[in-house]
Amino acid sequence: MRLFGVFGSTKSERELSAEIESHLQLHIDDNIRAGMTPAEARRRAVIALGGVEGTKEAYRDRRGLPAFESLVRDVRYGVRTLKKSPGFAMAGIVILGLGIGVNTAIFTVVNAVVLRPLPFPDADRIVRLWHTPPQSTFAGMDVFALSAANFLDWQAQSDAFEKMAIYRGGRWTLTGQGEPEAVVVYSGSADLLPILGVQPILGRGFMTSEDREGGPRTAVLAEGFWRTRFGGDPTVIGRTITLDRRPYVVVGIVPTPPALMDNVQVFASLSWTAEQRAVRANHNARGIAKLKPGVTIERANADLAAISKRLEEQYPAENKDWGALVRPLQADMIVDARSPLMVLLGAVALVLLIACANLANLMLVRTHGRAKEIAVRGALGASRLRVVQQLLAEGVVLGIGGGLVGFAAAYFGVDVLKAAFGDALPRANEVIVDAPVLWFTAAIAVVAGLVASFAPAWQLTGRDANDALKIGPGRGNSAGGEGRIRNVLVVSEVALALMLLVGAGLLMRSLTSLRGVNPGFDAGNVLTGVIDLPSAKYTTPESRNQFFDRVVEALRALPDVASAARVDSVPMQGGSIQYVQVEGQPVLQDSELPAVQVRLPSPGYFETAKIALVKGRDFTDADGFGRPRVVIISERTAQKFFAGQDPIGRHVTLKMMTPDPAEIVGVVRDVKMEGLDAAAGDSEAAVYAPAAQFALGGSTFVVRTAGDPERLTRSVIAAVRSVDAEQPILMMRSLEAIVEQSLGQRPLAMMLLAAFASLALVLATVGIYSVLAYTVRQRVREIGIRMALGAPARGLLGMIVIEGLKPTVIGVGLGLVLAAALVRVMATLLFGVSQYDPGTFSVVVLLMLAVGVIATLVPAYRATRVDPIVTLRSE
Amino acid sequence: MTQFEKNAVWQGTLSLMVLRTLMTMGEQHGYGIARRIEQTSEGKLSINYGTLYPALLKLEQEGLISSEWGVSDNNRKAKFYKLTKAGRKQIERDTRQWAETSAIMTRFLAGNEE
Repeated sequence: MRLFGVFGSTKSERELSAEIESHLQLHIDDNIRAGMTPAEARRRAVIALGGVEGTKEAYRDRRGLPAFESLVRDVRYGVRTLKKSPGFAMAGIVILGLGIGVNTAIFTVVNAVVLRPLPFPDADRIVRLWHTPPQSTFAGMDVFALSAANFLDWQAQSDAFEKMAIYRGGRWTLTGQGEPEAVVVYSGSADLLPILGVQPILGRGFMTSEDREGGPRTAVLAEGFWRTRFGGDPTVIGRTITLDRRPYVVVGIVPTPPALMDNVQVFASLSWTAEQRAVRANHNARGIAKLKPGVTIERANADLAAISKRLEEQYPAENKDWGALVRPLQADMIVDARSPLMVLLGAVALVLLIACANLANLMLVRTHGRAKEIAVRGALGASRLRVVQQLLAEGVVLGIGGGLVGFAAAYFGVDVLKAAFGDALPRANEVIVDAPVLWFTAAIAVVAGLVASFAPAWQLTGRDANDALKIGPGRGNSAGGEGRIRNVLVVSEVALALMLLVGAGLLMRSLTSLRGVNPGFDAGNVLTGVIDLPSAKYTTPESRNQFFDRVVEALRALPDVASAARVDSVPMQGGSIQYVQVEGQPVLQDSELPAVQVRLPSPGYFETAKIALVKGRDFTDADGFGRPRVVIISERTAQKFFAGQDPIGRHVTLKMMTPDPAEIVGVVRDVKMEGLDAAAGDSEAAVYAPAAQFALGGSTFVVRTAGDPERLTRSVIAAVRSVDAEQPILMMRSLEAIVEQSLGQRPLAMMLLAAFASLALVLATVGIYSVLAYTVRQRVREIGIRMALGAPARGLLGMIVIEGLKPTVIGVGLGLVLAAALVRVMATLLFGVSQYDPGTFSVVVLLMLAVGVIATLVPAYRATRVDPIVTLRSE
Repeated sequence: MTQFEKNAVWQGTLSLMVLRTLMTMGEQHGYGIARRIEQTSEGKLSINYGTLYPALLKLEQEGLISSEWGVSDNNRKAKFYKLTKAGRKQIERDTRQWAETSAIMTRFLAGNEE
């Protein structure tokens, strides 16, 4: 309060205070002369004046204060009034704090991920390059990875870009420096770092000549990795490190790039051979580029479209129907997170609205008690606007209080949010509470305070305010303007709560449906891990197969292990999609052939993953390297190409891997390869070929145990080390975790919506109850009279309840309309449940009606219990 | 009329009373003016003295009176007001206005009784 004192004591204020004190003093002197005691003299003088504050108020009104002083005065007054009712102030701050807090938390995330531009120089010119695959073979996929030769042709022929770069990410084994370690490596062309604006802090970046073989392979370390692994030693420049069993010369250190590739530890030169540069049909690389200044995205897309057309004509076998897509990098990064974040933003806005409505209700109830005071101030000369201003200031003070509480809560809550989002949130480490969030919170705090107090303030200073000065009980304002506002508030609270409940309900059902989907395999109790063999150490196919055979053997020998095997990738993680030439089907160009999911398991894989074998046999050790080629197909593949016939004994060719046809020896159940929410269809058509026949260097092992798979971690690592002590294992996870991940954002969105809906429901219930309790209290006299005249309690009860239910029912109606709009926004998150699912809607409607009934019953019942004589007497 | 609206009418009459009082008394402070108005109306007018101060401010803003700090008879510091030339002119105008209004009203009221 001392602070405000500084602003209050302008010359004008001081003079006014002095004049009033002088007036009082003169009057007191007269009174003392008339024989009163000093205390009595002062008292009478103040009464005759009509109140010191009131006089000052009227005077200031007349004077027309500069806006700031007026504002400060209003705020001081507001604070003082609130201090007098600590219960109300507490309630108001908590209610607003809740509403504001959740908004701040979500806004922090939205601000960092969606609004804030990427932290690269000229970020608006940085774009992502994709292929658009032919929809006939890759239905539903709108983008696809790049192939080397296509990218190089784009680079040579396009004039829309200032720089272009291609890169691949992976985990390579770093050896020769103590413990072997799997490090995150991005190997890319020379322009990769310059596009991101990453400048070396020591040494240099890559040179264009290093994109091709010929010179030594070079590496650039990321700063974080350089400090932890090499102790920040500058002499590491010029040293040779061994990655993937190949030598790389360290030529520079760069700061770790933010946002994109922020997990990088080492950048490696591309050093492609002519053979690698000519690969056109294998799409496994990513591309980014920087537009020339002034070139629009549309122009770049048109440019690449024209080039793609030319390439299609030149290379029809590989490029038929392969197009190109250019997307701004920021939009590209948030493509999956955008929708759920917007839904959340909408949801918290609704919660804040409900909080404001609740507070408005509380203020109406409370200021009704102050009606006399306000009317008297009107009589002293304060204009209606001034009084409204003062009430608004009170609201704003509450808003700011709520804002502080909310901001603090959000500050700590943001970490919880980030953890809940997990990997699904792009740019997660940029999510911090900073200045824009603070301004946002301040703004909504003030606006919330204004909104909450506006209706009560306006209502209270209107014509009906006169009634407050009349002596005697109020007439029961449920019919008056005040009652109307109350009803509007209840209606809106009910509507908003209903909306959120419908959203949460639908999501809950979606999740239940999703979790009920049969993935085609048993994900429980299976531990997985990835092993990437360094190609320089395991140069022959035999050595690679031998390694994995030994590992699988060692895994099977572990106690608690029921079965073990390996496969190139487990479902819902990686894998490849390839063209297949089926016996008896027309012979076509590669890119026109049908595509299937391809996986390369070892014998025993189907048993470990519990994928049912419906016909024929599993692979055996006899199907080894160099032996006749065999495959196993899934039911969908059989249905698609061999409908009605027996596929066993027929042949298919996986042309991308080998020209030799392979004999079908078995048929297995379909497996959801892309995710639980993938629509049933061709994405389940799979062809399995024995891993040993292709002698892969990388595989995922799967180990089934009786109990918790994570407990096996140590023994599994030991088993692998027993075969090769230097081989690290990557990404050890349970299969269940992998499947859970395919649920995407839904679990998080559901949890949050359910939390908000519960909050909204509580607020709405409290709101309905308090409004109705107050209305009933106002009508106590009427109730007393009716009862004295002999009306039965039950009839009265019914009358009051029905009266009270009217706003609830209207609210439900309104809520249904709004909910219909909300579900359209949520459509992409739903699964297995229709947008307008009658079950969910009915349950929610019944719930809201039940809440309304309960909220009215309690006060109504209490009213009818009161002795009519007592109520009639208590005026 | 609401309480707020009644005020506007009241402020008008109060201003004229203040001006007249100052014309009679010469210089006077707020308390003195209030007491004097009370006496002149022979106790029929009992106002909150506080309503005087906004009225005094308005008159000063309109240039009809001027103010100065001084010392009262019993040695109290007080702000004294006195009429300006414009103030005198305003009194003449307002007095004429009141006389005309009351004449018209009297005629009306007398007429209704016939």
